[in-house]
Amino acid sequence: MTSQGVEPVVAVDSRSTEAVDVGQPHGSSYQSSHPGPQSLPSSSGQLTVSSSGYHYDPQRQMSVSGDTQEGINTASHASTSTNLGAENAAQAYSGYVPYSSSTVPYNYTSVGYQNSFYGYHLQGNDSSTQQIGGDQNSGAAYQPLSTFQNSGSYVAPTSYLGTYYNAGDNQTGTGYETNSYNYQTSLWNDGNYHSYPYHHYSSYTTSSTSSAQSSATISGNSLYYQQQYNNWPYYQSQPAPIVNGAAGLENTSATSLQSAGYSAEGASSGYPYISNQPPPPGTTSWREDSRPSGMPSFQGKEAVTPYHLNKNWEAVAPGMQTHHINQSSYFQQPLNSTPLPNEKHANEQKVLYSLAPNLQHAASNQVPENFQPPLQTVPLTETRQVSKMQIPTNPRIAPNVGVSMLKTQKESCIVSAATKPAYISVSVPKPSNQSSSEDDAGAITKGTFSPSFCAYVERSFARCKDDAQRSANQSILKQMITMATADGTLFTKNWDTEPLFSLPVDQSQQSLVSDSSLPTHKRSPTRRKSRWEPIADEKLGEKLTSVDSHSAIDARWGQVEAAEKKVDSKISESKSVNGWGGFKYASFQQQSALQKFGQRPNKKQRFSDTSSVTENGDPSSDSDKEQNLTKYYASAIALANSPEEKRKRENRFKRFEKGQGNQAELTNFRPKTAGGGSMYTRRAGALLKAKSYEDGCNKAVEDIDWDSLTVKGTCQEIEKRYLRLTSAPDPSTVRPEEVLEKALQMVQSSQKNYLYKCDQLKSIRQDLTVQRIQNALTVKVYETHARLALEAGDLPEFNQCQSQLQRLYAEGIQGCYMEFAAYNLLSIILHSNNKSDLLSSMTRLSAKAKDDEAVKHSLAVHSAVSSGNFILFFRLYKTAPNLNTFLMDLYVEKMRFEAVQCMSKSYRPVIPVAYITCALGFSKAIQMDDSQDTSIEGVEECEEWLRAHGAVLTVDNNGELQLDAKASSTTLYMPEQEDAVAHGDASLAVDDFLTRTS
Amino acid sequence: MAYLSMGEAHRRITDYLSRFSDAVSSQDAAVLSPLLAVSSNSASLQSLADALNVFQDSNRLVGQLERSSQLAEIVSPLLRCIQSYRLGRFADAYVVLEKAANAFLQEFRNWETPWAMEALYTLALEIRLLAEKADRELASSGKNPEKLQGAGSFLMRVFGALAGKGPKRAGALYVACQLFKVYFKLGTVHLCRSVIRSIETARIFDFEEFPVKDKVTYMYYTGRLEVYNENFLVADQKLTYALMHCSPRKEANKRMILKYLIPVKLSIGILPKQWLIEKYNLIEYGEVVNAIKKGDLRLLRQALREHEDRFLRSGVYLVLEKLELLVYQRLIKKIYVLQKQKDPSKAHQVKLEIIVKALKWLELDMDIDEVECIVAILIYKNLIKGYIAHKSKVVVLSKQDPFPKLNGKPIGS
Repeated sequence: MTSQGVEPVVAVDSRSTEAVDVGQPHGSSYQSSHPGPQSLPSSSGQLTVSSSGYHYDPQRQMSVSGDTQEGINTASHASTSTNLGAENAAQAYSGYVPYSSSTVPYNYTSVGYQNSFYGYHLQGNDSSTQQIGGDQNSGAAYQPLSTFQNSGSYVAPTSYLGTYYNAGDNQTGTGYETNSYNYQTSLWNDGNYHSYPYHHYSSYTTSSTSSAQSSATISGNSLYYQQQYNNWPYYQSQPAPIVNGAAGLENTSATSLQSAGYSAEGASSGYPYISNQPPPPGTTSWREDSRPSGMPSFQGKEAVTPYHLNKNWEAVAPGMQTHHINQSSYFQQPLNSTPLPNEKHANEQKVLYSLAPNLQHAASNQVPENFQPPLQTVPLTETRQVSKMQIPTNPRIAPNVGVSMLKTQKESCIVSAATKPAYISVSVPKPSNQSSSEDDAGAITKGTFSPSFCAYVERSFARCKDDAQRSANQSILKQMITMATADGTLFTKNWDTEPLFSLPVDQSQQSLVSDSSLPTHKRSPTRRKSRWEPIADEKLGEKLTSVDSHSAIDARWGQVEAAEKKVDSKISESKSVNGWGGFKYASFQQQSALQKFGQRPNKKQRFSDTSSVTENGDPSSDSDKEQNLTKYYASAIALANSPEEKRKRENRFKRFEKGQGNQAELTNFRPKTAGGGSMYTRRAGALLKAKSYEDGCNKAVEDIDWDSLTVKGTCQEIEKRYLRLTSAPDPSTVRPEEVLEKALQMVQSSQKNYLYKCDQLKSIRQDLTVQRIQNALTVKVYETHARLALEAGDLPEFNQCQSQLQRLYAEGIQGCYMEFAAYNLLSIILHSNNKSDLLSSMTRLSAKAKDDEAVKHSLAVHSAVSSGNFILFFRLYKTAPNLNTFLMDLYVEKMRFEAVQCMSKSYRPVIPVAYITCALGFSKAIQMDDSQDTSIEGVEECEEWLRAHGAVLTVDNNGELQLDAKASSTTLYMPEQEDAVAHGDASLAVDDFLTRTS
Repeated sequence: MAYLSMGEAHRRITDYLSRFSDAVSSQDAAVLSPLLAVSSNSASLQSLADALNVFQDSNRLVGQLERSSQLAEIVSPLLRCIQSYRLGRFADAYVVLEKAANAFLQEFRNWETPWAMEALYTLALEIRLLAEKADRELASSGKNPEKLQGAGSFLMRVFGALAGKGPKRAGALYVACQLFKVYFKLGTVHLCRSVIRSIETARIFDFEEFPVKDKVTYMYYTGRLEVYNENFLVADQKLTYALMHCSPRKEANKRMILKYLIPVKLSIGILPKQWLIEKYNLIEYGEVVNAIKKGDLRLLRQALREHEDRFLRSGVYLVLEKLELLVYQRLIKKIYVLQKQKDPSKAHQVKLEIIVKALKWLELDMDIDEVECIVAILIYKNLIKGYIAHKSKVVVLSKQDPFPKLNGKPIGS
């Protein structure tokens, strides 16, 4: 990269100077070795393309992309890991693939390298860790891995794709040199890790696989974890330390490297990991500070993982050292690269944290670590420097960097606010800068990366009116961050939706710290204020909300983890998180870790799905959440679909434009919240129950508070196409009752064909169902649809409506009861022919009903049918009230055939066709005069029908057409229905429909 | 309620508990069964319930039982059930009884011999009866009556526990009958099918092996099912079996069987004697039989209208409705006989016009086309031998046996 020149600049640290040296060579080798274009383009591509992937990650953090928080971390790591492979692959395959290929050439030197890379690629998201593990096991792989580590470490700190590549290249280049070092480290790692890797891998794999959907996030997590765990001795150790270090810095508390790692893990959305981490000493202190209760629970839950962590940390003293070294390098890097990391919000937190505090921590950490493996550290630092250098040089990155710089500064300021006032000053002014920068960053940032947390911080500062407030704000922020890091929610939280804490310190603290009702906290007054007060900017509003949720989440996390170890609770939390992929995954991972390490992958996916679904099911679910969820899905499904993202954002904006409705909703909910169990808690509870129910737990369905899950629609469109719901309904596409009424009128007065009306009515029914509206309107809709369905011969649809109507009538809702009782009887008599149904239906008829014209008619039809009285049947057919005719229509053919059979057996010698015409209802006349008038209408049709059914017709002396009864009695048959369809119901045939209804 | 001292209450409860545990340990179902008969209103259980009201801490006493771990799960809900039942809280009583019954079933599975069959019968019966009571209570308070359904699924579990090889299988039919009762009450008769299938197709069951009373009950219910299906021959067979094997002392049961057997017999052309109808107080069928005898369609319709509710509820309405054709046949036969008396040579030609007139006398307004149609159907269904000459509007009857008797065959066969 051109950044070589820059590298020296970056290399502030003494070590880095060495690194610089190394780095330059690396860079050169990089360019030369790579088909320069590949790596470079790829790197550039990273900026853009990879940025999609990477940005994605940031987005997660931001909550824009939901999942990306971790992704960022992962992105950095992953990007480093492009070398590492799996991580990258998971996140942004597209971007990575080219990279990996590019990296492969680099790897020429070490075969193992290539293998490892390949493995990564192959592994893709999940399996990558395992493969890596395999690699580790193999000696050859180790070396390459070690090189990778270097690269990884480099990359991770920079977290820039371009840098990563460079780093990777550098690594390869340096790798030779470092190999020996790495080797040592690897040996160390081996000793320590051997046991670890497997465990870790299993767990990782599961988590990663489970997270396959949000592969990016998951992979990110896995990477982190792995790194942390040292499963991938090299990568893991490096990144983990890095992360840890960053986290530790963030925490600013007396966090050891371990604690740092802890926080990092947590931040990386690896909640389970976090929990695991608690055992580590550093973390413990940490947790105590942030959440006293949470810590123990975590440990207990994820004992397995903690062990790994512990082991790594403890046993891996050597590994640690290496890690530390890396960390130190990292720290340095962050400092150097501060601007860069900022760009990638993924790094955001870590980087930010690391920025200021890193120096200190890094230094301290480095010292011990470095001592042990001095050699290693040197190479590492070099590589890092290189990477750093490269990063700044990239022109494309530059703009982003600038923005990110600001943000990072802010963040760092916030983080270290208490500790480092200098930052504060910087941060305060920056909000405005950020906003502008955001605009500048424009599409890219928005679509991919808007740093939600930065925004959150911005927002929080934006409302500060004076210095005192600012400082208060800062301290609160700081607290929040510590909390978040402790919880590990920092990266996973949706800062966009997190409510801003209220400025009065007490409240904010309360909300943050207060344990029990997370949901309540979320929607607590503070949030609203924050949400609606500063809205001036729509974006701001969004972010505010995200932030709010964040804080709430933090609180929740603490509580939840402490109190509830159940997966469910976590799920609910994740839900509350507003669809943060990362968050969810973390929770899922936790779950998985808790429950079954090995088996989980699929389940996790399912979990995530269900949870998201349930989320959507929330009545109050802001479009925020849903959109996030959908985003999350989208991101999971299509790894890089920034357009989708954008679209959703637009939607969101729209929503805010329509804010009134939303507000109304909110206000609706508030009163409930005020009274006892808040709506949200209720909802959460209900969700929990629903969740657990789905999960196979034995909670009764009736225990679920469905009321709290009911959707309130906001859509004002009268016309809406019917789409079978495949996920929870979106209130913004559901019409409220008034609109539905209009829609019904529209359908009733519409001149369009049945297909259209059916579609519209189904969508109306759906909206009614979704909102659980059951009143006269519901009855009217079903009645309308039932009638239309009858007219069109759509019996299945009619039956659906009929059964709903029965239920509604039974609940005492008024409607055309008699009419439909008659239909019901007819459809039993003529179509289902179920005697006990008929009996019970007849038993239910009141005396009044039996006097009703339509019901009487139905009963008469019954007796006609049961005795086979075709004359009576066709008379009733001609005189049917309401739409009874249409129901009888479907029985006419059968009745006619039976009648002709009967006639051919009982008449001799002949029967006039004219008579049959009348008897079997071919003519319009009700009464047959039985004159020999051959001009009766319908005779031809009757003749045709008779011939079609095998009747033998003759012409007598008078030229009158006769049915030869005796001859016919043996030749009659029921012809195959010409319009028969495969599924046995001709009325379902679309063509037929169209002809009949248009 | 007279004042009950704490000591007396304590004594009664411990007495009950010791009797219970003795019965179990000595495997004496005769002693055990009455202890489970919650709804029997026996004096001992009533006094026990009073004692339970006084002495609240019965669980402690239960805990002192030997083998308490197994029996406590049965007894402690059972005690609560007895208490609730006495207080008239049937829904509560049902809930705890089901718990006790489940625990009992668990134990029952573990007992190798079927000694406790009687006790299980008692429980099965109590479950059903109490569920019905609980549902009535729930319905009257506007709640969803679902206990009987729960009882159904519990009984199904009991049936599953019995329907296997081994000596316990003899009890399966009793439980099956209880299940039928539940399903008929719930109107979910289709659920009977699986039970019937396992009884009639599984080789482990030798039908004659079952107790007679269960066989009668079983035949009664399956016969009723066949009536629903209008499978009159099989229904006749089953109901006749039930009637023949029904204890002669159980008049009420015989009447219940006859309630279905008579319509079935009618529809295959066999009319009951008047004394039978009177003896079992089934006068609602009296008019129906008369209508068939006389060929009086009006009378038949009257009778059907009059007893419509009853017939609908018992499910024979549709069967009786179909007797119309028999009445028509009788009417035409009467005309034929009259014509024969007048002019034997032309007797086999019955003018449709005459039938219309005859119906008019019965105040039934039917035009000639309809009559023609009905005659056609009669011919089609083998109730009349002959043919219709459409042009001349005449029914030409066969000279041999123009009105064949059903002789135990259903109409239309």
